[in-house]
Amino acid sequence: MSAHTPEEGKPQGRRVRMIAGREVAFDDEGFFDDFENWSEAIFEALAHESGIAVITDRHWQVVRFLREFYAYNGRAPLNNQLRQGTGIRLLELEGLFPEGLKQGARRLAGLPNPKTCN
Amino acid sequence: MIYLDNAATSFPKPAECLQRALDRYLQIGASPGRGGYDRAVEAESTVSAVRKKLCRFFGADEAHRVCFTYNATDALNLLIQGLVQPGDHVVSSRLEHNSVLRPLHHLQKQGRISFDLVPFDSDGFIDPAQVGAAIKPTTRLVVLTHASNVLGTVQPVQEIAAVCRARGVPLVLDASQSAGVVPIRVNEWGVQGLVFTGHKSLLGPTGIGGLVLAPELDPEPSRFGGTGVDSRSPYHTMEYPYRLEAGTINLLGILGLEASLDYVDQSYAASYAREMSLLRKLRDGLGALPRLRLYCVNLLDHHLPVLTCTVEHHTSEDVGAILDGDFGIAVRAGLHCAPLVHQDLGTLENGAVRFSLGPFTTEAEIDAAVNAMAAIAG
Repeated sequence: MSAHTPEEGKPQGRRVRMIAGREVAFDDEGFFDDFENWSEAIFEALAHESGIAVITDRHWQVVRFLREFYAYNGRAPLNNQLRQGTGIRLLELEGLFPEGLKQGARRLAGLPNPKTCN
Repeated sequence: MIYLDNAATSFPKPAECLQRALDRYLQIGASPGRGGYDRAVEAESTVSAVRKKLCRFFGADEAHRVCFTYNATDALNLLIQGLVQPGDHVVSSRLEHNSVLRPLHHLQKQGRISFDLVPFDSDGFIDPAQVGAAIKPTTRLVVLTHASNVLGTVQPVQEIAAVCRARGVPLVLDASQSAGVVPIRVNEWGVQGLVFTGHKSLLGPTGIGGLVLAPELDPEPSRFGGTGVDSRSPYHTMEYPYRLEAGTINLLGILGLEASLDYVDQSYAASYAREMSLLRKLRDGLGALPRLRLYCVNLLDHHLPVLTCTVEHHTSEDVGAILDGDFGIAVRAGLHCAPLVHQDLGTLENGAVRFSLGPFTTEAEIDAAVNAMAAIAG
């Protein structure tokens, strides 16, 4: 992975990294700038970086659901839809990702930053 | 769904109030004060009656000094920007919502004003003496929240008003959270400006709020246009309430507020006692959980039914999502548009989880909330 390269004129905190052979832009919280600029290889690299030692079928199940839902609906699933769609309670799902639901699952799946009140 | 986000907006609303407002709107829905025909006169007369009700409800004297706005943020912008002059100083507090902080910061950035923010103590209260100490010869205004939207603590307004009065500085009170929960008596307390919103504990619809002005407070209008009076003048009227109401007002919202105000006026004292009893139950239940931290709920004597907490090893947003997705409980997670409160609590990075009760909250819902939090933080 390459060093960070802040780009002039871009939103503050935006950074571009080389991951798994591809240049990827992230916002100031580490969310993908572009949903399409995601790959399984990039996910694996970011997952390890976030503290997931072994990527299991459960991780893939969550990430694939999130991406398919977003691609089809143009938005992230509601909390209830995430639980029902994955068949995993969110408390358990949160535990699968060391950085939790938003910073973990959602971010690693390449979904946009929800920019809620924080 | 178990709704515990009443500090954001009350839900559900009393259906009969909305229905009553809609029926009335269908009956008289002409433009208030914009014509001499009976329907328009009747609409204006109805709006005037609502001003009188609000005036009475808040313990003010002059109904024509009740002005309608979109919400409390709108009213605060009107008041703050309409009262300060270049070089003025403003006193506020670190408990404030962005509806106060952001107007102050923007005015400061424009070089028009300076301001100081009074801290709150470890129980979530402002010390009136510190308000007095912050007042300078150039202080034009003290603007404070009546009750913190994060902590629920109700501030000692009467003491603060006495300090302001002694220093000759008007006090503007943001009653967004408190209006409809605890009694407010602006005249008796010596508050010169009161700001309220209709959609929180006044149980009205969104899009309607207002301000109540004492006779000695005359903000300059910052929005100009049609008022239905003095149309020959090229300038906006200085006559109240139109001085601060440019354009057609939200009649449906005003009718909704009128109906809900009648409802609240009848029930809020009993409702407050019941909600505080439920808050104690919630506090005691959550307080027993090992990985959960509560903020400023040791003293509940001057408090709204609001409780804020954090859970070790969980971000507040994730706790909110889990409560929603797994347990069907709606709470507000994050910074609650009050970043300085979180900075002082040490919760700026991950925010906090806020439970806010309302008149329709039940004991069973509190039990469910405690059990859900036990699953997360136990």
